Amino acid sequence: MQVAALSLRGVRRDSLNHYREDLSALLKESAAALVVLPAYSALLLALETGRLAPGEDFPALAESYRAMAPEWNVSFLELHRDLARRHNLYLVCGTLFEEEGGCWYHTAYCCDPRGEISGRQRQTHLDREQRELGLSRGEELEPLPLEDLRLGILVANDVRHPETGRILALQGVDLVVHCGALPAGANPCLQVAGLWSQVQQNQFWGVEAQLSASLGRREFSGECAVLAPCEITEGQTGYLARSGPEAPLAAARLDREARREIMNRYPLLKLLNPRAYRGHLY
Amino acid sequence: MPLDGWKERLFRRYLLYKCREERVRRHLRSRVKKLPAPDPGDGRRVRAAAVQVEIKLFKEPLDYVEEMHRLTLEAVEAGAQLIVFPEDNNLPLLGMLPGVEEAGKAVIPGDGEAPKKEPEITVTDVIRYVGPVVRPLIHTIFSTLARWYRVYIMAGSYLLPEGDRVMNRAILYGPDGSFIGKQDKVHLMPIEKEWGISRGSKLEVFPTPLGKLAFPVCMDATYFETFRILEKQGAEIVMIPIANPEPYNYWLALRGIWPRVQEAPVYGIKSALVGRVLGFEFTGRAGVFAPMELTPRGDGVLAELESPGKEGIAVADLDLEALQELRRNHPWRDSNEQLYQRYFSHLYQLYPYREAPPGAASPRPSSPGAVPGS
Repeated sequence: MQVAALSLRGVRRDSLNHYREDLSALLKESAAALVVLPAYSALLLALETGRLAPGEDFPALAESYRAMAPEWNVSFLELHRDLARRHNLYLVCGTLFEEEGGCWYHTAYCCDPRGEISGRQRQTHLDREQRELGLSRGEELEPLPLEDLRLGILVANDVRHPETGRILALQGVDLVVHCGALPAGANPCLQVAGLWSQVQQNQFWGVEAQLSASLGRREFSGECAVLAPCEITEGQTGYLARSGPEAPLAAARLDREARREIMNRYPLLKLLNPRAYRGHLY
Repeated sequence: MPLDGWKERLFRRYLLYKCREERVRRHLRSRVKKLPAPDPGDGRRVRAAAVQVEIKLFKEPLDYVEEMHRLTLEAVEAGAQLIVFPEDNNLPLLGMLPGVEEAGKAVIPGDGEAPKKEPEITVTDVIRYVGPVVRPLIHTIFSTLARWYRVYIMAGSYLLPEGDRVMNRAILYGPDGSFIGKQDKVHLMPIEKEWGISRGSKLEVFPTPLGKLAFPVCMDATYFETFRILEKQGAEIVMIPIANPEPYNYWLALRGIWPRVQEAPVYGIKSALVGRVLGFEFTGRAGVFAPMELTPRGDGVLAELESPGKEGIAVADLDLEALQELRRNHPWRDSNEQLYQRYFSHLYQLYPYREAPPGAASPRPSSPGAVPGS
């Protein structure tokens, strides 16, 4: 299976038509069965298509988004469901802010090749700024079906908390995708401490989409990557593909046999020691 | 029972005689250097040394004693208050056993080679045989060195018999020479499981005037659970002794202590056993690690040796007050206890682990293969 992560760099966002056109071209170029978009994609598109007033800082933008969310979220998801159906692929279309039961969540959605929503994942670990914005934590981490594989989604800051990847791995997830947005100039070690480390200690594949755009006077820039256990990557780096911040996508093919072989030879999860964790972690 | 004939028993008595406490202490007394008392510090800054030991097999135990003294002294002269030795730090003492190198070649071939013959003696047989010699020797060496130089020494880990089991056990000594505590390795490498080593089931933190110390072993750093449990118990400095039997690769080595230090967050000290012995190539780069926010270059590294195969000592200062401040005012850390309780209570049970019963170890150790870093 071919998978890809997009940064949204180079994708025109001044109108929905341009966005659809440019994203379609990249989806085609990726030749992937699964494509992942970065965090804050809905906020970015709302801002750049003129639905949100520019000039506000990031927290103010996120606050303003709430008023338009009920309507815009539907349009945003319809757009990406249509793209998934047209290109016959799974599309994790980045994230949006949504309200339910009086609580606001930061949520990623996955659209399947039929154009249906196959699942969603709320951010479960919030950073300080998000807590100050009044967001609530999701309380579920459930695998989604992806052909005959199991897919997990990590939203933004979730990737820095190893509990998230472990919960997914223990549920048999094969592939974890990450919708991320790192400030430009951020320490590159942050990404290694994030999904790369999750992949290495859980032996699933990882697809990391980092936003490359300006949003609310804040520049975001990171590296898109496709990750695997070190042993099954060239040079044992853990990377099957990486884009660099200037490139719009990273794509790679997943080798199921290679992953199965390393999991048999080095069964990390079977060497867990739950007896030592009891009373501390559960 | 293997290694229990009269010749073996007699030879062990000879080893006990050669390793007797009085002889070791006398040797150390003749070597010890008078130094000014180390800086007691303010209790919130600690100078730590991670020792990288290049392995040699010693026929004469006093040569091993000398080696440990030389490395300790080097760390003390660099101002270290806490000195950390590597995993399997008793491997050099197997040189006391006649024919061990030949036996090693026979049972632990290089990559792709078949064992030259089926061994009659297992790894755990050997550990049980030398255990009564090694245990008091290690205690004498490191308690004496800690007391003489008034430093904390995490003496590394040792394969040691414990009842009918064999454990991979790390040991900590205080500046008065007292035994502070032990930590059994909680996550084993596949080859250790194959050898019949047993694993520990408890992770402990030891409060000291230097700070709250913990010292899980090697593979334990592959699992976030180790550091999370220690952090919850208040650990500030986590020492990881390693002995990685694989060619060095930067990325493989990155899979252990470094990400764990970022996740916890704590200070991390990695000591490494390196070099070739008994058909294994051990590699690593000893170092001192910290949360990225507390390192000058932002890379999470305070000090790290350059060579993955040569002896050396990495020294750095740890600011425990800065660590506490980071924990109190962390920009991105969060906790979601409801999520953890919802999943972990049942998910961990899906992964039962079967320990080899005592004495059921495979007689033929295999090549270790790739190993996650530490």
